[in-house]
Amino acid sequence: MRTLIPAKELKKISVITILIISSVCFSFSFKNNNAYKNLYLNRFDDLNRELTLLASEIRSSDLSEKEVENLKQQIETARLKLKGVDFWLRYLEPTQYKKINGPLPVEWETEVFEKFEKPYKRNGAGLTLAELYLKEKVKNKDSLLHLVQSSIDASRAYLADSITGRLSEYGTFFLANRLFLLNLSAIYTTGFECPDTNNIIPELRSMLISVKDIYSNYDKSFPSTSLSKEYVDLYNKTISFVNNQPGDFAEFDHFTFIKDYVNPLFVMNQKFIKTYLVISKSFNDYTLNDSCSSIFDKSLYNAQNTKGIYSFIEDKNILQEIKQTGKLLFYDPILSGNNKRSCASCHKPAEYFTDTALQTALQFDGHQYLPRNTPSLIDATFNHLLMLDGKHISLQAQAKDVIENPKEMNSDEKEVIKKVLSCKEYKEIFKRFLKLTPEENEITLNHIVSAITFYYGDFSNFYSPFDDAMNNNKPLDETCKKGFNLFMSKAKCGTCHFVPHFNGVKPPYMGSEFEVLGVPADKDYKKISNDSGRYNINPATETFHAFRTGSIRNAQYTKPYMHNGIFNTLEEVIDFYDAGGGAGHKLDVTNQTLPVDPLKLTRTEKDELTAFIQSLNENIIFEIPPLQLPKSSDKNLNARKIGGEY
Amino acid sequence: MTKTIFLIAICILATQCSTQKKVEYNIPPDVGEPNRSLLVQRFEKGKILYKIHCSDCHGIYTKGKDSVPNFTKQQIDNYTAIALADPVNHTVIKKISSEQLDYILTFLRLKKKGT
Repeated sequence: MRTLIPAKELKKISVITILIISSVCFSFSFKNNNAYKNLYLNRFDDLNRELTLLASEIRSSDLSEKEVENLKQQIETARLKLKGVDFWLRYLEPTQYKKINGPLPVEWETEVFEKFEKPYKRNGAGLTLAELYLKEKVKNKDSLLHLVQSSIDASRAYLADSITGRLSEYGTFFLANRLFLLNLSAIYTTGFECPDTNNIIPELRSMLISVKDIYSNYDKSFPSTSLSKEYVDLYNKTISFVNNQPGDFAEFDHFTFIKDYVNPLFVMNQKFIKTYLVISKSFNDYTLNDSCSSIFDKSLYNAQNTKGIYSFIEDKNILQEIKQTGKLLFYDPILSGNNKRSCASCHKPAEYFTDTALQTALQFDGHQYLPRNTPSLIDATFNHLLMLDGKHISLQAQAKDVIENPKEMNSDEKEVIKKVLSCKEYKEIFKRFLKLTPEENEITLNHIVSAITFYYGDFSNFYSPFDDAMNNNKPLDETCKKGFNLFMSKAKCGTCHFVPHFNGVKPPYMGSEFEVLGVPADKDYKKISNDSGRYNINPATETFHAFRTGSIRNAQYTKPYMHNGIFNTLEEVIDFYDAGGGAGHKLDVTNQTLPVDPLKLTRTEKDELTAFIQSLNENIIFEIPPLQLPKSSDKNLNARKIGGEY
Repeated sequence: MTKTIFLIAICILATQCSTQKKVEYNIPPDVGEPNRSLLVQRFEKGKILYKIHCSDCHGIYTKGKDSVPNFTKQQIDNYTAIALADPVNHTVIKKISSEQLDYILTFLRLKKKGT
């Protein structure tokens, strides 16, 4: 073969060309990312250095009182370095984060994309637990060292290529920033992972400054998808606002911080996600809605699918029909074994879909009582796990369980279908619905319960005066604001009842949390309630007497309170927490997750808390019951009462 | 005469056999009743849902083949992970109920390759 250039030369040229191309590519990619990525790597070095120093100090320490004080100082120094990378850590690898700064030694988690799996155990370690360990009377050096060594080991994971590689995607920045802003509203100001309350605001200040550098380095590395001037300006104002606020988290103005700073920043970040066409590849964003325009908008995250079997139907008229059918079924005692009980028997629609008269619900036999209080169905849609013990993962499964439970409605699928289809009106409607669910051969219980969940699910989409203040700048009473600030600080409510739903679902809103409170069986605190709670579903030392944290929205109208309905007024509930729960009342609750120390709230503070809770009453428009139920071909069924007899 | 009857009988038998539904799933032998029937039910529902909602984008259209590709276990697992991470931006997954998604995944996982 003849060539114009000798083979040797050709080889040379090609090698040189490849070298030039690759160096151009390399320098380009390097230039493109270096400022932002280098900041990440440098900050990790800093953190690692402090953690290693802490470990060596522990090794050489005798754990005397003076040295414990020194170690505490060193932990705080390391914590501040941690806050410098917190922005990335939580988003890039949340599992490892629990080893670096886990809030609890053992956590049982059921995350949303693993709803079908069993809950799994995660051992926490790191700085928060090390700091708490220093308070123990008997200290063991190895245990302390283990907590710190785990952090060092876990922090190595963040240097893996699979993680650092994601720093070159601009999308990851905006998604991590979203989680950061949500955490600013829900956990960073409440002491969720900060045992020393004196450090909460100083740590917040330090973190805000650290993130400012992250922002400016990001903008340098990604000029075509940068943050807007408007965003950066507001962020700088946020920093000065926090710097001008008192350093005590109890004096800090949480309300203004969220309303005027964090939420508007969140809104802008959502716009970046939209305009820059950011697409997530992380489980962290599983439930979050890119179109949501406020933290206090009810579309923020998606926990339950109210449509169930009708998920693919989008025709408004048909959906309206399904809803109306759901309403009829909700009030129809035909779903119960004796045709005398309906959903509305316990979930009274005019009483916020709960029963405010009974401590715990009446059983099917009409004499005995169930062990638990009827929960309100409003805002149930914002939980990943349902029932107080988290037994169910979907609203439809929960509804089926009630219908088939011998102590509740005591019926079964076959009987329910037979009776429902004996009514001409239902039969015609469900025949049409069946055609819209082609995967089903026949009308099932799922068709029935999905109509019911779709009906009541809509009542969760109303807003409260507090939401209106946050979303639309509507005025809110000063007392309510003070109550909110207490809620997020001194009263320690916000560490379990998270913004914005004030339930047990915290950013990134993927799981439901359970807490052990030591709720008594009687108001005299003679003994703890004998309900084992979550233990029934997931037996473990930590889950004994644990219950899913409920929302405090509409609490004024949903008495009685706690799983067993032991308290009748909000004041009683606040007093229970004020005194440190069951253990604070001298009950033997070994695994209580609620702080045992009294909160020492004053009378005025308790009133302010109540005022805040009342500002979360949603302006729900309730409907009147249906005027009549469909006629059945079985004459005996036509005597049934709308809403049931008991 | 008997010969013709015999032939007709064979023909009928043959057509009967060929129209008999082919088993399309592969359920491990250690799965006993009633779980086996439940899986078959889910499988059938998943098949219908797949053809309606998925095969427009994830389908093969060649003469003599149905529209469902033979995915490997790895492909199904990877796809599940990617689709679930960003449900809001997926045309179908943003609407689907978790039960329906489970039917489709059951169908894909149990489907006999090549059918």
